[in-house]
Amino acid sequence: MNDMRNVIFISLLSFFITSCEDVIDVDVPTAPPRLVIDASINWFKNTPGNEQFIKLTLSAPYFDTEVPPANGAQVIITDTNNNTFNFVEDRNTGFYSNNNFVPEINGIYNLTITYNNEVYTATETLKSVSSVEFIEQQNDGGFTGDEIEIKAFYTDPINEENFYFYRFTNTTEPDISLEVYDDEFTDGNQIFAFYTDEDLAKGHELIIRNFGISEQFYEFMFILQQQTGDNGGGPFETQPATVRGNCINQTNPENYPFGYFRVSEADELTYIVQ
Amino acid sequence: MKLLKSALICIFCLINIPLFSQEKYTISGIVSEKTSNETLIGVTMLFPELNTGTTTNEYGFYSITLPKGTYKIIISYVGFDNINDTISLNENITKNFNLIETSENLDEVIIKENVEKLNIRKPQMSINALSSNSIKQIPVVLGEADVIKAITLLPGVTNAGEGSSGFNVRGGSADQNLILLDEATIYNSSHLFGFFSVFNPDAIKDLKLYKGGIPARYGGRVASVLDIYQKEGNNKAFHANGGIGIVSSRLLIEGPLKKDEGSFLLGGRSSYAHLFLPLFDIDNVAYFYDLNTKFSYKLNKNNNIYLSGYFGRDVFSLADSFENTYGNTLVNFRWNHLFSDKLFSNLSLIYSDYYYGLNLDFVEFEWNSGIQNFNVKYDFKHYISDTFKLQYGLNSIYYKFNPGKIEPSTPTSGINLFKLTDKYAFENALYIDAEHKLSDKLTMSYGLRFSSFLRLGQDELNIYENDLPVIFNEDFQVYQNAKPIDSETFKRSDIIESFSNLEPRVTLALQLTNESSIKASYNRMSQYLHLLSNTSSPTPLDVWTPSGKYVKPQLLNQFAIGYFKNFNDYSFELESYYKTIKNRIDYIDGADLIANNAIEQVILNGKARAYGFEVLLRKNEGRFKGWLAYTMSKSEQQTPGRTPSELGINNGEWYSTAYDKTHDISFTGSYQFSKKWKLNTNFLFQTGQPTSYPNSQYIFEGITIPNFGNRNADRLPAYHRLDVSFRYTPKPSKNKGLQSYWVFGVYNLYDRKNATSITFDRNVTTGANEATRLAIFGIVPSVSYNFKL
Repeated sequence: MNDMRNVIFISLLSFFITSCEDVIDVDVPTAPPRLVIDASINWFKNTPGNEQFIKLTLSAPYFDTEVPPANGAQVIITDTNNNTFNFVEDRNTGFYSNNNFVPEINGIYNLTITYNNEVYTATETLKSVSSVEFIEQQNDGGFTGDEIEIKAFYTDPINEENFYFYRFTNTTEPDISLEVYDDEFTDGNQIFAFYTDEDLAKGHELIIRNFGISEQFYEFMFILQQQTGDNGGGPFETQPATVRGNCINQTNPENYPFGYFRVSEADELTYIVQ
Repeated sequence: MKLLKSALICIFCLINIPLFSQEKYTISGIVSEKTSNETLIGVTMLFPELNTGTTTNEYGFYSITLPKGTYKIIISYVGFDNINDTISLNENITKNFNLIETSENLDEVIIKENVEKLNIRKPQMSINALSSNSIKQIPVVLGEADVIKAITLLPGVTNAGEGSSGFNVRGGSADQNLILLDEATIYNSSHLFGFFSVFNPDAIKDLKLYKGGIPARYGGRVASVLDIYQKEGNNKAFHANGGIGIVSSRLLIEGPLKKDEGSFLLGGRSSYAHLFLPLFDIDNVAYFYDLNTKFSYKLNKNNNIYLSGYFGRDVFSLADSFENTYGNTLVNFRWNHLFSDKLFSNLSLIYSDYYYGLNLDFVEFEWNSGIQNFNVKYDFKHYISDTFKLQYGLNSIYYKFNPGKIEPSTPTSGINLFKLTDKYAFENALYIDAEHKLSDKLTMSYGLRFSSFLRLGQDELNIYENDLPVIFNEDFQVYQNAKPIDSETFKRSDIIESFSNLEPRVTLALQLTNESSIKASYNRMSQYLHLLSNTSSPTPLDVWTPSGKYVKPQLLNQFAIGYFKNFNDYSFELESYYKTIKNRIDYIDGADLIANNAIEQVILNGKARAYGFEVLLRKNEGRFKGWLAYTMSKSEQQTPGRTPSELGINNGEWYSTAYDKTHDISFTGSYQFSKKWKLNTNFLFQTGQPTSYPNSQYIFEGITIPNFGNRNADRLPAYHRLDVSFRYTPKPSKNKGLQSYWVFGVYNLYDRKNATSITFDRNVTTGANEATRLAIFGIVPSVSYNFKL
């Protein structure tokens, strides 16, 4: 629904043959770097879920071509059963991995990161997820009427508040699309996650992942979506602002990190476009 | 004792003398245009020997009470020949006048106001009036004459960019403008995202924009009043008026219902550009249409009735997967009644409906939302004497708000039926306004409006702990929705919340010389309805919400001061204003307003202020006519935290509103080369709109995320463009039968790519971040053929 405004507007632009989009040079301000916590613990169905990794990087000036990794941090996750999972950095890549993680549905996990003498913490609950049941493909959809549309169907459990995070990865293109859904209007129903892209073509490999998320992650991702990619900008953009996740800098609250600590049950389906 | 007796006799005589030598009589009547009997608004009736006069009201009626005697009268109205006459006032008389359009009837004037000496004295400021003819002169994109585009050329009026609907007056938001069409409120003044306005220029008789100095008879919105009156229709003969353009066409038919007594007017407009899209293999549809109707009937010399209607729709559809329809509907019945030759009244009964519907076939649901209102207005204009005029009346509106209903459109749809709770309200006002000539040089208008708003009972009003629907999470330093702890259901006749406000309005005009004056005004206004919109400009998806338990009325104070001068063919106005608004709604970061049944969970209360100065230089006579307007202003808002430990929005600091434009220069002019050819041109220059640029980037979940800091701290590049159009009239002296003219125009002559928005994104091919500018209109030529029968 949220994209509707942009969709209507863009369709209207098809009239104005003189309208155009150009890449231009713009001077943007530069803010000092912050720690970025990309901590996604995913327990895929029918796997033990013991191998997990966390990525730590720093933010960079907007037009830089790369973001630097955050090296030398100490990363630990603890659960309510007194387990401690240590994440060890792989050389200097900013990837911290662990291979003895114990995932549990509705388990509560605490993340502690020590970086640059500051301590960052976060807490999250492992949310369950509905499986991706089947895919429906339509070849006459999209905004021009001839794009391929993919619908990934799942069934929402009734009488609970559920939130979903979908990741569509086109390995052939490559392209990544993220969507979050709630069940406010679809509680208990079979409903679908939607993906379309003008470059999607026959033979492309699409990996569809569904993650169970908390309401807090849903809100976080919702705001992030508003500001990035296809949804960002345009006359109908909502006022953008810094998006705060669930990680706190205990040592120095003003130096808060970007990113989120998410713990989810996940399901995956690979689909070759017909 | 003798001294006292003489003194008493003197006083007695002084008291008695007025009774004899100052017998007063009233002259009143209607001023109309000769060939159509269309009443004329704002016609000046000047009595030069008495140095006094009056003007006709919105229904063409005038009334003035003068001492017995014989006087010269000069009746003048821009675009028409003057009438010079002599009146013998020995008793109360009714005298109607018919004005004839100036014979070179294509010699249009751009603004008609403040040309006469009488207007130098009038205690009215911050008002601009435009006639339909002048609106049709101003070149606009695609050659379509447009009311809203024309008023944005005036000082103090701007909009939030191309593709934005609505307009902004003196730093106010688009929902703070009261837009009236024949006394009925219009909620959305634009078609197709602001590319066209909902007003058919052929159907309009007169238009006034009040930017400040708003009289007490208007209320309900805090920034401005756009008061538009439609023509009644020619009650002598049938006529048609129309035009065919590249994107849209219009046709208006008018004529008598009963010769000299009744008339009708039917006008329609539609766009058809979407019919060409299949040529480009695009299966989308976007069009609008509107219909204006009016029936007028003169029952007898003291009673007139009118029935007006307006129906407009915008339709978008995308390849069968999605269809969107929205628009205004208005039906309005009015009765003018003359209680005496000094007391004019108008009763209006209005029904208005704003509908918004969405049909999403690919997700299988339908969405309907809207606002309906019933409105009764009773206005009295009491012409007590030539120095004192009183206006008073009442205005009552009953609202029903449907914030939305979501319905599955097929039996297999995955969407559940959901109805957002309907809201009801009752807004009332009583007002009294006086226009008082205190001395030869000083005229004042002062008034008071008492307004009240009752939020009526509804189902399921949410209750929150400590009455706080928004909570501040100190750990994460973000605002979050609070969960309701309970809900309450009321009867329709219960009153959940009530508000009332006294709104004083004062304007002073002090004449300095015959050609110049100083004016000052103070307004206090309140607004009880709010358009919920957290995008840079309103969209049709935005919902109007009434004040209530969690949403307070907006309250405004505006001060303005100005200097006015006429010299030779020019007039000059300089005005400065300052306004403050309490209870301006602001939204927490990422607020999702669509289909939100609990909007109180995403809003915070803030304040706004705006100040600036405006300069307007106009040339009203001669081959070259036009105006140059310059506005320098600031419009900002602030939402501090509710307690010292809360952040507020944008860290509780003032930030620019989306329509804050520091410098705004508009030039519009017309040059009559010959009887057949006329050149019209516009030049605009504006400071770029405020926007937010990213101050860093990071990678999360494989996606590059731009990070934004303060709201609206940056600016888009400056906006400027030049438009030119030529009007060609093949037979300028023809004034019977089919008369026509062509307009050849170019919008944005030097093809400036003005940024509507700049988006920041990662280029998938190169892997680098880039800024992409969207410009909607490059150079756009247009042609239209316009006729009158």
